[in-house]
Amino acid sequence: MRKSKLANIYLALVFIVLYAPILYLAYYSFNSGGTMYAFEEFTLEWYYEVFQDTRLLVILLNTLTIALLSAAISTIVGVMGALAINNVQRRDFRNALLTLNNVMIVSPDVIIGASFLILFAMLGMRLGFTSVLIAHIAFSVPIVVLMVLPKLQEMSPTLIDAARDLGATKWDVLTRVIIPYISPGILSGFFMALTYSLDDFAVTFFVTGSGFTTLSVEIYSLARRGISLTINALSTLIFLVTLLLVLGYYAISKQAARPMRLEVGE
Amino acid sequence: MKKVVQMFVAVFLVAFIFVYVTARINSLQGYSGANTLTIYNWGDYVDPDLITAFEEETGLKVIYQTFESNEAMLTKIAHGGTSFDVVVPSDYAINKMREQGLLLPLDHELIPNLEHIDPRFLNLSFDEGNKYSIPYFWGTLGIIYNSEMLGGKELESWEDLWDDSLRNQIILVDSAREVIGIGLDSLGYSLNDTDPDHLREAHDKLKELIPNVKAIVGDELKMLLANEEAAIGVVWSGDAALIIEENPKLNYVIPAEGSNVWFDNIVIPTTATNIEGAHMFINFVLDPENAAINTEYVGYSTPNRAALEYLPEEIVSDERFYPGPEITDQLELYENLGKRMLAYYNELFLEFKMHRK
Repeated sequence: MRKSKLANIYLALVFIVLYAPILYLAYYSFNSGGTMYAFEEFTLEWYYEVFQDTRLLVILLNTLTIALLSAAISTIVGVMGALAINNVQRRDFRNALLTLNNVMIVSPDVIIGASFLILFAMLGMRLGFTSVLIAHIAFSVPIVVLMVLPKLQEMSPTLIDAARDLGATKWDVLTRVIIPYISPGILSGFFMALTYSLDDFAVTFFVTGSGFTTLSVEIYSLARRGISLTINALSTLIFLVTLLLVLGYYAISKQAARPMRLEVGE
Repeated sequence: MKKVVQMFVAVFLVAFIFVYVTARINSLQGYSGANTLTIYNWGDYVDPDLITAFEEETGLKVIYQTFESNEAMLTKIAHGGTSFDVVVPSDYAINKMREQGLLLPLDHELIPNLEHIDPRFLNLSFDEGNKYSIPYFWGTLGIIYNSEMLGGKELESWEDLWDDSLRNQIILVDSAREVIGIGLDSLGYSLNDTDPDHLREAHDKLKELIPNVKAIVGDELKMLLANEEAAIGVVWSGDAALIIEENPKLNYVIPAEGSNVWFDNIVIPTTATNIEGAHMFINFVLDPENAAINTEYVGYSTPNRAALEYLPEEIVSDERFYPGPEITDQLELYENLGKRMLAYYNELFLEFKMHRK
């Protein structure tokens, strides 16, 4: 079937719907009028203010730190979990484990957040960096498991048998056969966890404290008094950085596509 | 494998660099454990310059954390694990916090600037004798309208909202006591009426308002009115001031039948670790000059009588936001009516919202 004009128009429409809000927000970040409707004059004032506001910068750094750490740790935990689930021989038991994992994904963030708050309060833990990190790791692990498991299941068991026949130890099999094979799953798991952590509001809201906040919680608290265009400017910057990262990731993975394969047998 | 490991090492490295930079920024600004004061306030509800001035004066470092609703704040404080020293709840939330034993009594000797607060705003029903709280900002519930869009029509009372010419022009705030309160006030009943017949009557009257109602919304109300999506809104005076600042064509009026008066108040919760610093901060913001600076930044009405001298004449003489005693005497606070009565208010409000046009 040839690509029709209609298909292209539809595609364009979808992209417009997806990107229009972000572009709208970015457009008004240059508005000297200070509002989100009447555009007055072009200004970089709000960008200047972002870099002046150390409180905002600290919050941004907090957000990024939590995202990177929680994504990395939950990827490690999640890969181990996926390996364990995959190794379970009894089918019903394996399905039960998988269901338990999926329940965490399906359950509303508010419930996860509230239960963490109650748990931390019961343990007498102070709310702050650690509590947020733990909560983020907890809701990211199931996502990583879900991204890695299909890769493990699609891997042919003969690959492992062959490696064992050729004298590889269990460790060799893991590091030289399994992990290289599932690394696309690991990567996508990591990036999913990263985005989940970056944009999470509900869970984070419950477990922040002692002056430690993330960007989403801080922006939400501005609702009563109105959100300043500094937030627009900051969001635009974050969007640009994300765009660059995605392009960079794309370029690297395209370049690395071939060497990656060779590595399997190194 | 090597690639994956490399990536993770890089990620951890970047994360630790971020941690280091954050710690560095904090220590450059002088944050170091014991000398801090944690303030838990509404977003953007204090002049940042004032906080800097406070830090310079006292040597304390302020950690500023924000919330967006009294309920959210209550949950956080009630569960502990935090160390907020100063919090700014609204009047009805103070009732709840007192009931749950979440507030520390204030030491009035450490707050000599308390004398500057207008006596009209002291000793209120939610905290008699101001044992636990001091008013920070106050305001009313009223009508904001764009007379240009209404062909020059001016509004003065709740009753005016029922006018046939205002079809599809009113935006209401999505809150049970406020909306049922419009019905009660227009019938001459108290905002804290608990007589089911009176409430039913108010509901029936509100039902007739429905053709005039365009929408019932939350915080986006400010934007909708400033953008002239509708000509009339029922809003709190604080929001009204912000809307008028954006769109000067709008006017605010406290309805003639009376209305609600609200207070945001400074309290010290039981989670406080720096109680002395908290008192210092309260006394600092009550200083007339500081209160004036803060009022100009926030744009709400200050209860600080001495601060009025430092404010521009056009702000202070504005009867819409600084009404005289003859008007404030008619205004009512929301009393805590108990769970069952509030549920009844909510039920009536829900019924009202579900009516078809």
